[in-house]
Amino acid sequence: MDVAPLVLSLLYQFGTGAAFFFLAALGLVVILGMMNIINLAHGELMMIGAYTATITYHAGVPFWLSVILSFFVAAAFGAVLELLIVRRFYGRELGALVVTWGVSLVLGQGALLFFGPFLPSIGIPGGSFSYGDFSFSAYWLILVLISLLLILALWWLYNRTPYGLQAKATMQNAEMAKSLGVRTPQIYTLTFSLGAGLAGLSGALLAPTVTIAPFMGQQFVAPAFITVVVGGAANVIAGAVASSAVLAAVKTPIGMAFGSFSGTVALLFAALIIIRIMPNGISAALQKYFNRRAGGAMR
Amino acid sequence: MRTIVGLISGGADIGRTRVFWIGFGVVVLLFLLYPTQTSAFRVSNVSYYLLNIPLGLGMALLWGYCGVLSFGHVAYFGIAGYIYGVIAGNMSGNPFGPLAGVAGGLLASAFVAGIFGYFVFYARVQKWIIPILTLVLTLLLETFLGQTAGYQWRIGSVLLGGYNGMTGIPWFQLGGFVFEGYSFYYLCLLVVLACYFGLRMLVNSNFGQVIVAIREDELRTELFGYDIRARQWVVFVLSAMLAGLSGLLYVQWGNYITPSQVGLLQAALPVIWAAVGGTTSLLAVVISAFALNWVTYTLSAQGNQYAMVIIGSLLVVTMLFFPRGIVVMIAERLGRLTARRAAPSQLQP
Repeated sequence: MDVAPLVLSLLYQFGTGAAFFFLAALGLVVILGMMNIINLAHGELMMIGAYTATITYHAGVPFWLSVILSFFVAAAFGAVLELLIVRRFYGRELGALVVTWGVSLVLGQGALLFFGPFLPSIGIPGGSFSYGDFSFSAYWLILVLISLLLILALWWLYNRTPYGLQAKATMQNAEMAKSLGVRTPQIYTLTFSLGAGLAGLSGALLAPTVTIAPFMGQQFVAPAFITVVVGGAANVIAGAVASSAVLAAVKTPIGMAFGSFSGTVALLFAALIIIRIMPNGISAALQKYFNRRAGGAMR
Repeated sequence: MRTIVGLISGGADIGRTRVFWIGFGVVVLLFLLYPTQTSAFRVSNVSYYLLNIPLGLGMALLWGYCGVLSFGHVAYFGIAGYIYGVIAGNMSGNPFGPLAGVAGGLLASAFVAGIFGYFVFYARVQKWIIPILTLVLTLLLETFLGQTAGYQWRIGSVLLGGYNGMTGIPWFQLGGFVFEGYSFYYLCLLVVLACYFGLRMLVNSNFGQVIVAIREDELRTELFGYDIRARQWVVFVLSAMLAGLSGLLYVQWGNYITPSQVGLLQAALPVIWAAVGGTTSLLAVVISAFALNWVTYTLSAQGNQYAMVIIGSLLVVTMLFFPRGIVVMIAERLGRLTARRAAPSQLQP
């Protein structure tokens, strides 16, 4: 048997796995990293994105346009959520967790009552190609590319724009940022809205690969939250990228050998072991490591 | 005896006046007399509302008194229920099979909670990680139990049953006496009262004061020389066993259990009972668990699809406008009213 196609297939599995974790966790990490709020309605925001994409797609809008549209619908929804509810829970982590969980129950059940138990699905665009004995879906490769682009875009947003500067200032010291003229409430609304929009975008992007149903958000809950827990809150984007890679490296071989459920169980154990060694996640451990090296160089 | 009374009437729960205890006694008496006044069907429903209370009490202890939030306590509910089903089902005919099932179920929930708790508490993870990992655990358990359909998934003579669940789980029995119908109702009532008074003594004890101190300030408590990790771990395991107790009573009540009992919707319920009642009072959670079970059970029995929307909105409204809990707030209003009328000497020191 030829080795090249097998290696390529493993790489493909790993890449798509990492892209899935990254996309599932994307909106969540933006909100957690900037606002220290865990949004348990994350899965439902992804559901809103997927629903928007599905409904507009079946109304005749081109797929890519409907994906972009779902970003804005979810972002608008996130802004309303922040203004009405989340705003009152800054600094109360557990309260925010519980209230967003209530929101998620209402949204999930509301979607069931409003849209019925399922929507017609979107066919996977892009077709597939094969190499050796393995066939690959072009769409998943595009998703890997989009994940890389999103990482770049977020890096640009937080390092090269006035919003990014003000948001980082607010994150580091809200009081000081406020006294320097940053409108922190607006920054919070914008950030939550951005996180919600990204969740909607991920939901729309993943919509062709899953069943569109009111409780579809639930299937993203476990992977998204494990990614966030493993990544940690010290540097969320780097943490999410690193933990997506680690988790995909755990899940891909175990899932291939023992089936996808064992892969998911392995994820939970990997998360428990990783937080036992690095209680603040990979990103904090990385940061410590680099700080130590930088300190050593200075001496 | 004096220490027991002292512990029960300590300051860590609402309701310490003589009027309160008279009211409490009247309510217990009404519950004792209830079966003589109504149909077996209603008694069975009320048993269901009662049997969920230990789960709510476990949440109150863990979240309200110790400051640790778990979204996955239904996992221990489910583990105890399934293990009871397996053990008691395999020992059917043996008069002490159900008792062995109860012991096995409680031990199994304590064991899983112990391992899980070791990882999270001894790693000193941040506060928000525990609810998320407990939620993931219960979702995994649901997925696992859901795919156990078919004959290859059997333990001894008991089928796990996939999404259809495990059926034909035996009643609880002690020797030759089988608890079903009215006797099961009294069993539930007894368990609820025992759990309530036991926990009320616990939270008023030294141990209880230390766990409240941990909730208030972990670092300061640790600097006083207490091992906060061990105490959080003990509370976590204890509350998991309370959840397990509810799970045991649940399978003994309905004689079946399905994986949806450990699903996301069920996982939300104990958190909602605790939040709506007011997490800092055991009695408030008892009341709200009973009342909300009554509401959800009645709504879903009527086929009302809005049940989860109503319960979810109730949670959001409570968190927004009554962050200390609706029952606690009402109790404080009542307390203030009676205190105004009573002499100042009746006030607690």
